[in-house]
Amino acid sequence: MNLTDFQIIYDERETIYQGIEATLSLVFISGVVSVFVGLVLTPLFFSKVSWLRKAVEWLCSAMRCSPFLLFVYVIYFGLPSYGINFDKYTSGLVALIVYHSAYMAIILRSAWVDIPADILEAGTAYGFRGAAMIRRIIGPLLLMRSIPMVGNQWIQIIKDSAYLGIISVVDITAAFNSIQSIYFNPFVCFIVAGLMYWLLCLLIEFIVNGVAHYARERIA
Amino acid sequence: MNAIANPKPATTDTVLRVQGISKSFGDNHVLKDISFDMQKGEVVSLLGPSGCGKSTLLRCINWLEEPDAGHIRLNSERMGYAGSGAKMNDTQLSQMRSRIGMVFQHFALWPHMTVLENVMASPVHVQKRDRKEVENEARAVLKRVGLEDKMDMLPSRLSGGQKQRVGIARALAMKPEILLFDEPTSALDPMLVGEVLEVMRDLAADGATMVIVTHEMKFARQVSSRIIFMDSGHIIENRSPEDFFDHPQTDKAKTFLHSVQYK
Amino acid sequence: MNFYDYLSFVYGALSTVGVSFVAIIVGIPLGLGLALLRWARIPVFGKCAYLYVSIVRSCPAVTLIMLIYFGLPQFGISLNPFVAALISFSITATAFNCEIWRSSLLAFDRSQYEAAQAFGMTRWVRFRHVLLPQIWRSSIPGLINEMTLLVKNSPAISVIGLLDITRAAQRIGARTYEPIPPLLLGFAIYIIIVMLLIELQKRLETRIRSAGI
Repeated sequence: MNLTDFQIIYDERETIYQGIEATLSLVFISGVVSVFVGLVLTPLFFSKVSWLRKAVEWLCSAMRCSPFLLFVYVIYFGLPSYGINFDKYTSGLVALIVYHSAYMAIILRSAWVDIPADILEAGTAYGFRGAAMIRRIIGPLLLMRSIPMVGNQWIQIIKDSAYLGIISVVDITAAFNSIQSIYFNPFVCFIVAGLMYWLLCLLIEFIVNGVAHYARERIA
Repeated sequence: MNAIANPKPATTDTVLRVQGISKSFGDNHVLKDISFDMQKGEVVSLLGPSGCGKSTLLRCINWLEEPDAGHIRLNSERMGYAGSGAKMNDTQLSQMRSRIGMVFQHFALWPHMTVLENVMASPVHVQKRDRKEVENEARAVLKRVGLEDKMDMLPSRLSGGQKQRVGIARALAMKPEILLFDEPTSALDPMLVGEVLEVMRDLAADGATMVIVTHEMKFARQVSSRIIFMDSGHIIENRSPEDFFDHPQTDKAKTFLHSVQYK
Repeated sequence: MNFYDYLSFVYGALSTVGVSFVAIIVGIPLGLGLALLRWARIPVFGKCAYLYVSIVRSCPAVTLIMLIYFGLPQFGISLNPFVAALISFSITATAFNCEIWRSSLLAFDRSQYEAAQAFGMTRWVRFRHVLLPQIWRSSIPGLINEMTLLVKNSPAISVIGLLDITRAAQRIGARTYEPIPPLLLGFAIYIIIVMLLIELQKRLETRIRSAGI
């Protein structure tokens, strides 16, 4: 390891930008979308319709048992046999969203169960119901109460996004891997890649802490 | 028991009519054939030992618990059942509920909303009234309970007494036809009870129709037009406060008054 | 799928479970060591432990394993892929176990430890008979959860050419042009592993409860 190794990385910055762009966009889109999908799935856990409830419970436990890469293979290699073809980037994005939505739903469900019963009852007593109840009372409380757990899940999304290099999405890890395979400087390449992930996670932690601070006095 | 049954048919002034309400949780019969009427402007205190069913009765009135048998009528409209006799759907039920104000023992304020937002939430989002108009009224109501300077605060910043006054303001903002108080002061420090009772006394004097479950005997005697005393799911006495406190007729009531050291 | 395909699943399952198991065994004591460094508020080492956990916790399994397998030979340390996988997963498990132990330590009432000190117990006795039994008990759910996380990350070993369950499934699918059946079989194996772990957790918890410690 010496200075020229870093020089190489600097010279290859175009590839690296490409990787950063892919990782950031994958993480950002799936991070936001999975929270929303999770919010939509969560009420189904409490649905009166039993097949709906069973379906969402099954989906969530399935995702909880499956490794992310296996699920990526299902989307990327499996779906085409049913006539559904995504390109590699879209496959990766869909896999991240579906897989982590299930985890978000689990997180939000446990936050829902933890909301003090009388706060929800006050909502009912004051005429809130259905969508208005979720939008005005349960939803905001749920999001604020589950911020730390959602933040952890976002970090999980960042880490899982690195698997997508295996189906040749050029993310951060794949970008550095392609550089090291040309210049034979794997140590520096993967160290720098690791540091980039670290910075990304620190950024998430920073944001989450800020929001958690805001939420602290609003969650009963 | 004859004295307890409804003596006369409902008049136009009858705000609440409770007829033959029963409720069980499993084998536990909490309410057994409860009936009483309330006229406009009446203040009724529900008294009785803990576990006698008074809180459940309150929760049956606004259908938070669905009674097993019996009718509740709010200004002659039947609670829980539409005109056709079919069960009300969620929309109809929530419209009915928004005509009843409820004040909870543990305040149950929505912690993510400011004081003003708590008060405005139901009029704006349930009753769908004009936001500007509601806001003006909400400010007036908060002023009435003495919290005009706390409007933009979050509930977590308030004392228990202030929280409960917000709870009352929240109920008033819906312009309810009747107010239900479920032990509004029993979660408060003794020092903070007074400010809440003061507000309630003020409402009673203004002619609000109120049902109060409480352990504050002195207060019940002062503000109530009637006392309903319950024991193990039955109404045992239903009389004027003077009669009840000075000349309790049943042994159960005597024992109760003795146990709460009311002299 | 032919006999050799099923055999590759067995082989894959063995490496998946093997890597996860070894990592957790290595990670438990090392993680405890790091957690104690932070708990005891030892100046420089405590900070180092924090930094280690923070960096490793945010490093993807794929990236870390490639760093170990491709990077270390630059310093003359040549590893066979399996050893590289073990090292990489142990590094991760150590960081995660540190967090698990630390949260148990935070929940532990420090005054008990001081009471033990007041009764003249030596450092080792205090650790072994006062601290460890209590934090061990509260750590079990976290440790099992950590084990399932390791199992779910084990497909990362395929990037250095090792055969795990997911890789076996994908390879068979690529050969037979029927990707779904082997992937489902792989999924079923993961379900069995996760359920066994949950069962293990229940057993451990009952045993600890009945032992009354």
